[in-house]
Amino acid sequence: MSRQMGDSHRRFLQTMMANGIIDEQGAKALYQHCCEVHSTQCAADRLDDFIEVINSKLQPMFMQIRKGMSEVTGYQHYALVNMAETDITRMSSDYADNELELFRKTMDLIVGSENGTASSTDILNSTDSMTTKKLKKSETEHLLSRFVQDNWLSEKRGEYTLSTRCIIEMEQYIRKMYPDQVKVCYICHNVAFQCQICEKPTCGIKIHNPCVARYFKGRPDPHCPACEEFWPHEIPEIRRPRSQSRR
Amino acid sequence: STQVQKGLEKLTAAEVERKVAEVVQYFLVKDQKKVPVRRAELVKNVVKEYRNVYPEIIKRTARTLDQVFGLKLVEIDSKNHMYILVNNLEPADGASPINSPTSPKMGLLFVILSVVFMKGGVVRENLIWNTLKKLRVDPGEKHEEFGDVKRLVTDEFVRQRYLEYARIPHTEPIEHEFRWGQRADAEVSKAKILEFLGQLFEQEPQSWSQQYKEAHSSQASSSSQR
Amino acid sequence: GKEKAGQLFSEGTAFDPAAFTEHLLSFMGINRLEEGDEEQQNGSTFGGYLPQDAWHRLSRRAECCFRTAPSFHYMMGSFHAEPPPPKQRIE
Ligand SMILES: [Zn+2]
Ligand SMILES: [Zn+2]
Repeated sequence: MSRQMGDSHRRFLQTMMANGIIDEQGAKALYQHCCEVHSTQCAADRLDDFIEVINSKLQPMFMQIRKGMSEVTGYQHYALVNMAETDITRMSSDYADNELELFRKTMDLIVGSENGTASSTDILNSTDSMTTKKLKKSETEHLLSRFVQDNWLSEKRGEYTLSTRCIIEMEQYIRKMYPDQVKVCYICHNVAFQCQICEKPTCGIKIHNPCVARYFKGRPDPHCPACEEFWPHEIPEIRRPRSQSRR
Repeated sequence: STQVQKGLEKLTAAEVERKVAEVVQYFLVKDQKKVPVRRAELVKNVVKEYRNVYPEIIKRTARTLDQVFGLKLVEIDSKNHMYILVNNLEPADGASPINSPTSPKMGLLFVILSVVFMKGGVVRENLIWNTLKKLRVDPGEKHEEFGDVKRLVTDEFVRQRYLEYARIPHTEPIEHEFRWGQRADAEVSKAKILEFLGQLFEQEPQSWSQQYKEAHSSQASSSSQR
Repeated sequence: GKEKAGQLFSEGTAFDPAAFTEHLLSFMGINRLEEGDEEQQNGSTFGGYLPQDAWHRLSRRAECCFRTAPSFHYMMGSFHAEPPPPKQRIE
């Protein structure tokens, strides 16, 4: 059963287009706002149904509003993603061919790394092996800041990670293209870049930092859920969602 | 037309829907740079062998863009058959809980469009350059926010059809004049410009009686494609 | 420059672009220099600097005059999917 879209759905979708990704709290607030603006009834816990209506209409265009978790905060987010690769989708003009090549190289580094990061030095060095028009050092630095501004990468102290938006959109691509290197979280089964790893060599399971926080909460004596060895890593605190404040 | 009808009979519903979805995707991708889409390129790149049912394809594309995305497909040039996408949803009265990003270019464009509108619809370029200079935007210098200002205003905004930049004949050295472009006609509300100007100047919008009349009588949007 | 005759309207206030820019600068949050007697030419702001978010501030306010369509941006599908080069084996 698919309901018809109304202006409240369209306004929600347009906001997703403009932002790319919003967190769960924001999505709930946006849902209520869109319904208020268009005098539509809205039940507070029906956000996913509301989004499902939109997704049913987006499906023919291979677009979707997809849910995913931040590896840093553990909060759920909603991202508007593209799901197909065709002649038409490749006409996207946000980035030039060589800029996209650098993005792929950055992904290679991050996916292949142990801690899900790539240093700016390593990224700069990777331009040496570019097959498209080589980027200069200054161009690369400027490009990396564009990737961060457009929310494809995150940066902290010179280390780059895949943003939540990037992970949600690229997850299937990464599973397909890096089958041997991709790490998967033992608890939530999503791809994992920034995670803790079981130290037992025959086990080696990975768990997202926020998933560690939730799974081991209240357990003074943490053990690996797979092999039961002592879990030696620091157990992070569960992050409390910030209080909602209207602008 | 019967020709389109005959063409449709040879195609399955699924085939037509698939093609419409591709055209929708095409418009969305092309809208990234806000450059109008020409019918010729649309047919060549996407519609292809379905060109005999083109009118039906474009009609359904417009319907999908409207019903799914709240966007309006507007033919800004019925001679050259060029299309743009415009928002069909009114800006909401209440503030959205989400702070969507804005481009500083919109502010620059607003200044230029306002001056042109308030000065009767056509303005010699020097007035625009002098106005921008007072706002610390010099077409001769690289601007921290806008980069190559001259290129942004006379090339990018013109290609996007926000502005028209035309040579004034018999001028030496060559001078140009600015007018609103077809995208501005479809996207920009003169009434809302006057409202903002009224707040800035602390005057009633009606005090600019000629412009007020124009803003409230003309139905600004060009005809939409259905 | 020479005003076109059509621009001198018989009724209604004339529009002064110089006044416009003054109001805009204030709106955008210009920091006027405070050192006493800065010579003002034609009452216009001489010196002073605009804050970094000046144009963002103006854009945000001017937004409501525009019915611009939001555009769709994505990474997946924007480039050819290619398997990465085989990883160098560390002996
Ligand atoms: Zn997990
Ligand atoms: Zn283990």
